[in-house]
Amino acid sequence: MYRYDEFDHGFVKARVDEFRDQVERRLAGEITEDQFKPLRLMNGVYLQLHAYMLRVAIPYGTLNARQMRMLAHIARAYDKGYGHFTTRQNIQYNWPALSDIPAILDDLASVEMHALQTSGNCIRNVTADHFAGAAADEVADPRPYAEILRQWSSVHPEFSYLPRKFKIAVTGAERDRAAIQVHDIGLHLKKNEAGELGFAVYVGGGQGRTPMIAKKIRDFLPERDLLAYATAILRVYNLNGRRDNKYKARIKILVHETGTEELTAWVEKEFEALKDGELTLPSADVRAIEAYFAPPALPSRPEGENAVRQARLDNRGFDAWLKRNVTTHRHPDYAAVTISLKGTGEAPGDASDAQMEAVADIAEQFAFDEIRVSHEQNLILPHVARADLKTVYDQLVAQGLETANAGLITDIIACPGLDYCALANARSISVAQDISQRFASQERQEEIGELKLKISGCINACGHHHVGHIGILGVEKKGTELYQVTLGGSGDEHTSIGEIIGRGFTAEEITDAIETVVDTYLAWRNGPDETFLEAYRRLGAAPFKQALYGDEAKAA
Amino acid sequence: MTETTTPATTRLWTNEGFRDDDWAHAETVDALAGNSRVILPLAAFLALDDETRSRLGDRIGVHVMPGEALDALVPHLGTVALVSLAFPAFSDGRSYSKAQLLRERHGYEGVVRASGDVLIDQIPLMLRTGFSEFEVSNETALARLGQGRVGGIDFHYQPAATQEPGGPAYSWRRVATV
Repeated sequence: MYRYDEFDHGFVKARVDEFRDQVERRLAGEITEDQFKPLRLMNGVYLQLHAYMLRVAIPYGTLNARQMRMLAHIARAYDKGYGHFTTRQNIQYNWPALSDIPAILDDLASVEMHALQTSGNCIRNVTADHFAGAAADEVADPRPYAEILRQWSSVHPEFSYLPRKFKIAVTGAERDRAAIQVHDIGLHLKKNEAGELGFAVYVGGGQGRTPMIAKKIRDFLPERDLLAYATAILRVYNLNGRRDNKYKARIKILVHETGTEELTAWVEKEFEALKDGELTLPSADVRAIEAYFAPPALPSRPEGENAVRQARLDNRGFDAWLKRNVTTHRHPDYAAVTISLKGTGEAPGDASDAQMEAVADIAEQFAFDEIRVSHEQNLILPHVARADLKTVYDQLVAQGLETANAGLITDIIACPGLDYCALANARSISVAQDISQRFASQERQEEIGELKLKISGCINACGHHHVGHIGILGVEKKGTELYQVTLGGSGDEHTSIGEIIGRGFTAEEITDAIETVVDTYLAWRNGPDETFLEAYRRLGAAPFKQALYGDEAKAA
Repeated sequence: MTETTTPATTRLWTNEGFRDDDWAHAETVDALAGNSRVILPLAAFLALDDETRSRLGDRIGVHVMPGEALDALVPHLGTVALVSLAFPAFSDGRSYSKAQLLRERHGYEGVVRASGDVLIDQIPLMLRTGFSEFEVSNETALARLGQGRVGGIDFHYQPAATQEPGGPAYSWRRVATV
């Protein structure tokens, strides 16, 4: 993984010092909350419902054991003993005191971490495929490019006061695990016919109250032009994006209102002027960054197959976990392990300090000191020898981290909702917990198969409900929480936005409604090989509407 | 906790410190008297005939609002002594891109002035994108600039309008010139 050099250390230290000074000025009343707000946001500090919230950047979701232990330490020393892993592969703490935050940032800096640009109207933490470097289907590791973008976007003097936040995601495989088509810029790393690396460039995707799928504006951008092209897009957006209405300020609205063709012309014109200038990436620099992400040397461990075969016969839990949470690695003796943070009845994405430390220990002993955070709010060990899977599993069991539900209905994405968030209209966590308990049976979940359920507590869609195969959106109606159900969304290479199925359900009704949707799928599917999403795409909404609303649906 | 209030006094700051402002914002050239210099709104500047523009030469500057494009101004940049870019709110970042474009794209070597809600925390960014003068009225900004505390970070991860030496290791890095 990337290691800071003196330049990076100097930068982060200077940034922390600058923020410490800004906090002191705020506490002394020298600076208004309005003036302070964008400064604290760009340093990861939100003012939430009950307290300040600190969102720490985990660039492209990659971290090592030492960093994970520091996250555990922060949870214990400055918070209530847990942290919440987010859909941007970050971690957030819900209870730090503002006056402690500079000290937390110092602690983070000591392990080459920061909270920069995890919020605010700037270029946010760049995300990437959580299986990067391990996936069998990848053309190249997307993380070197994510790191270059992270550096280039850090305290960018021209792009720190954009109309609105700006999110970039990079994937290196045809199978999109980074949801690039719902990002402001989505980059698909690929090779052209000559075998050279470059990117398909997507612009203008996003969720929120106006979900839009990104438009491809370039089929192949050579690697060397990455920063020039990104600058062109950002400059067009900074100058032309709407600033009159924060709900219409994302680049997706600019793309929509301008038209893809016209906007592409603007970007290409700006790019022509920037091309071959000082932003051109020398191949040597890219290769130097790439070297940091060189995969660990993976010694041959052919004994793994037998060990696994025997152990899965002896232990049904292990067998279920192998099926769900272990992913094919490009090396046949290895696997990528998903550590589910979605235990039955727990808050999705939460991890205690002890759990974080246990994961750090396992990563050090069995996973080449590498951990990832997935945008689905789980942790990943990208390189584990199959021979060690049982030992890793047993250690996860000791921490309650062995839930075998990756990709199943209880692997729920949920935003913090009304329990924490100042923007929320409804609770998300309690709904996730209810559904998780209702579908707790492993057999039943396996029978249902792959099903991505995502919950947002308000229209801002932090829980990604628009791209859930089943999405739940919490709204407030006449003082009570109401939950709308969307069906058919997807955040992969065939991205689609879920459709609202009908009137909403109360907190008491919503779990029953989800069960009805699932039972309808089970009744109508063409056998177990047809996933929920495939069945929905074939059947459309009608049978689900009928099951949920009966004759009321026909009348409406 | 007390909130700061913005005093009425505005002072002109440049990298060399505070100095008297020999420019005044005005709606029309009628304000010109003696050897004075005025900064006109873009529309008023463009409405002048060529004769007036060339006669007044470096006595007129142009004030550009965030929503106004630079395009119409570009042909005149060779004779305009000052371009003032507006910050009606410090959070409106359009003028950063315009400063960058004036310097880098159009090779403009005159004064680029930041006018409006100019606060201490944004001045380092403005300097990097090519602003050279600042109309400052915020109390904290006035105090800190007076003490020579401009702030900012010396490690830059991207080139900007200000020409700076390259940083270590990678082509995109730059280091501040002291």
